[in-house]
Amino acid sequence: MTVRAGPLTLEERLRDIQAITDAALSHLDDRAFLAQLLARTRDILRTDTAALLLLDDSSKQLIATAAAGLEEEVRQGVLIPVGRGFAGRIAAECRPVILDRVDHTTVLNPILWAKGIRSMMGVPLVAGGRVIGVLHVGSLDRREFTSQDTELLQMAADRAAVAVQSMMAQTDRIAATALQRSLLPSALPVVDGAEMAARYVPGSGVVGGDWYDVFSLPAGELCIVIGDVAGSGLPAAVIMGRMRSALRAYALETSDPAEVLSRLDRKMQHFEPDALATVLYAVFDRSLDQMRISLAGHFPPVIARPGQPAEVADIPTGLMIGIAPSPRRQVTTVSVTPGTLLCFYTDGLIERPGELIDEGLARLCQAIPAEPPEVACAAVMAALVGNQPARDDIALLIARRQPAAQEAL
Amino acid sequence: MTDVTYPIEMVRGVPVVRVPEEIDITSAAALREALLQAATQGQLVIVDMAQTQFCDTAGIHALVLAHKRALAEGRQLRLVTPGGNVLRILEITGIARVIPHFTDLEQALTTTPAGTP
Repeated sequence: MTVRAGPLTLEERLRDIQAITDAALSHLDDRAFLAQLLARTRDILRTDTAALLLLDDSSKQLIATAAAGLEEEVRQGVLIPVGRGFAGRIAAECRPVILDRVDHTTVLNPILWAKGIRSMMGVPLVAGGRVIGVLHVGSLDRREFTSQDTELLQMAADRAAVAVQSMMAQTDRIAATALQRSLLPSALPVVDGAEMAARYVPGSGVVGGDWYDVFSLPAGELCIVIGDVAGSGLPAAVIMGRMRSALRAYALETSDPAEVLSRLDRKMQHFEPDALATVLYAVFDRSLDQMRISLAGHFPPVIARPGQPAEVADIPTGLMIGIAPSPRRQVTTVSVTPGTLLCFYTDGLIERPGELIDEGLARLCQAIPAEPPEVACAAVMAALVGNQPARDDIALLIARRQPAAQEAL
Repeated sequence: MTDVTYPIEMVRGVPVVRVPEEIDITSAAALREALLQAATQGQLVIVDMAQTQFCDTAGIHALVLAHKRALAEGRQLRLVTPGGNVLRILEITGIARVIPHFTDLEQALTTTPAGTP
């Protein structure tokens, strides 16, 4: 193979740049785009391999994601720790690196030296000021890469960074939405003597960590959970899923709502030390006469008793989940007479910029009609959300104990 | 959205992070950044939320992480909030009982830390 000698003519250089910036590439889907971009980069730079590694933030490792002439790197799931080896150094220092000796002292990945690669050049993929990956090319012949070569490779990396970001955002969004949908019961369980309805609206189009859950215990108690995990997108949805399962498991162990929240808190602080959430957990006895409730930093429910104006239930709040080791948690018992309606919600429903929280709570109290939960949910959403796009997630769950006349039927 | 910055001002040797009127998911990352930076500038860090009217879970998360980090490293985080929405949120979430908070900056600066050497 002949090694290109001397600087490129202006015409050659423009042709190379055009091949990388070619708008036609944009019509491909993200994966096909990356494959095509790598093939073109390899051809233009007349190298034998081109490979793209993406940074996994949680493990601080680069994961081989796409390759041309080096497919085994992707197929074998090569992982390179940031700061180590050739690619790891590029990611750690966020600058181009050129190698003219490829062996175990300079390159971590044995596939590269086993293949006989002699010279390598790599550049970081940067998005929003952060390194998100590394793009590198390799030549089987000894090769002196020029500053023009580095510029072209960086140009390809910049295009790849845009595609990777959109690909990741889309994957996260789809996964988070699927997870959220699978965890929020679209059909609430049918319970004798109670009716329920719920709404969930993602904030600014991004699914967040709000959730609600309704289930019954073996002895027949009805349990209602509503919570809000700090964060958004897939990470929040994953934490939410774990909290939901853990809470259900603890609910089977004890019927004391404060104890369930304490165990949940301990579990979260041990396994997800950076997670933070507000949770409300309420247990109704079989007859539905009483609700025992405990709040971990969550807004108290609004209670509307028949013939009386709705009000925010007077329930002391405990500390949010994920802050301090074993805070004291209380249980409050609320009597629930027939026809009483309880409204559980997350902060997105009542918090509006430029408005006091208490004003939002007052609007919620005024908006709740003495109607079945489905009608009440629609009325609350119409009054509090209306036509405004939600900024934060909104979860709303309304439960009503059947009015006495109906119960007698 | 991502270009929001939170100025850190040194007041009598104490780093004070001034939080604007609103913190939400789009600006919480910048607040986290500012709190990390302020932590390198003093044993005591004050977060001045006197102007803040809106703070969602993302903002609370940034404050709690900074508080936990400070606690682990033997430093202290203090909040300044005269009342209104921020205080209400601190009360509902229980954080008011965990992170020391004061009604004005002067108090936050002059109160001697309880339980710290």
